[in-house]
Amino acid sequence: MISVLRWLAVLILLSSPASAHSLRVFATVSGEEVSGYGFFVGGGRPKGVSWNARMGEIEIASGTTDGNGGFRFRTPEPVSAEITVAINTGEGHVASRTLPARRFSASVDDAAGDIAIQSDVSRPLDDKNVQKPALVEAAIEAAVERQLAPLLERVEQMDARMRLTDVIASVCLILGIGGIVLWARGRRS
Amino acid sequence: MAHIADGILSLPVLSGASILAAAGVAYGLRQIDDRAIARISILSATFFAVSLVSVPVGPASVHLLLSALLGIILGPGIFLATVVALALQAVMFGFGGLTTLGVNTFNIAMPGFLVGVLVGPYIRRTHNVAGAAFAAALSAGLCVFLTGILVAMDLWLSSPDYIPVARIVLITYTPLAIGEALVCAAIVTFLKRANPDLLLPRLSSAGATT
Repeated sequence: MISVLRWLAVLILLSSPASAHSLRVFATVSGEEVSGYGFFVGGGRPKGVSWNARMGEIEIASGTTDGNGGFRFRTPEPVSAEITVAINTGEGHVASRTLPARRFSASVDDAAGDIAIQSDVSRPLDDKNVQKPALVEAAIEAAVERQLAPLLERVEQMDARMRLTDVIASVCLILGIGGIVLWARGRRS
Repeated sequence: MAHIADGILSLPVLSGASILAAAGVAYGLRQIDDRAIARISILSATFFAVSLVSVPVGPASVHLLLSALLGIILGPGIFLATVVALALQAVMFGFGGLTTLGVNTFNIAMPGFLVGVLVGPYIRRTHNVAGAAFAAALSAGLCVFLTGILVAMDLWLSSPDYIPVARIVLITYTPLAIGEALVCAAIVTFLKRANPDLLLPRLSSAGATT
């Protein structure tokens, strides 16, 4: 029994820096382009495997991941439904990420261009902002998306990280469940 | 490979496999005794920890399953050990999913249970340690490919888009099968020499092979 528990402890320690093989997909929106990558929790990227993107039920892009497990494609105009990017390693690992339609702004580039022109003529934006609030909103959304992308990536990685405390807690929980069942059976008999 | 995530499989596949897994768990519960509870707990924790250690192979990454070993040592208790470990992996780390808990349990436990029924009696009965180790190694490799076939069937029945590619499956599963065979053979060899009774799922009867 002691040796079994000793081996168990070794396995737990081994599992802390490495980790399991759950496949995840990270995707971010930049204007009319979606880019991202797949990754295995704890390390490793699905290299050279197939991916596809669907807008609703319609396939809008597909290909194979690059050396870093990455993908990139342009979205159609307009984005009428949520876009789902799926990576299939071909041996049973399948993962997907869904981007809601509201994350895509059809007029982001137009809005950015429009505001740039305004800046060139050194006129306050307020006049046209009032006339085209949607364009300004789209430009702001695009800027926020760019700023948030690294944070979202970091959050995704932290969310996928396994913690040694969680592993130990889970192992102890399993052993504890066994103990509880034994105790309950002992009380009944 | 065996942790199929939520949202991929179709409802008929999910429900069908869940019913089969539930039947396996119920059968395991009927066979349980005090000795089995402690053994199931320890091997469930072992399976939990082992399957968290992954190794990148080809375009994917793989981890040990130990299903053959669990099937030989626990008999029908493998369903209990597997479902508890997979449930915790889904809740704590998001591996697999709660809706696919039945599917994943069946995919891992069923090959191990079959091996335990078919090969287990020979491994426990024989006095030839090398023969037992060889049988355990073959069983472990077979379990890996059986699990792979079950995963492929689940995906194929759910969506033609997710049919695994045979070439990639062979590239990734073959090293895993070899590794699994070596580990299983080593553990069975050790147990046969150190304490053969540990290979018995139950001590109650003289046969004690199920």
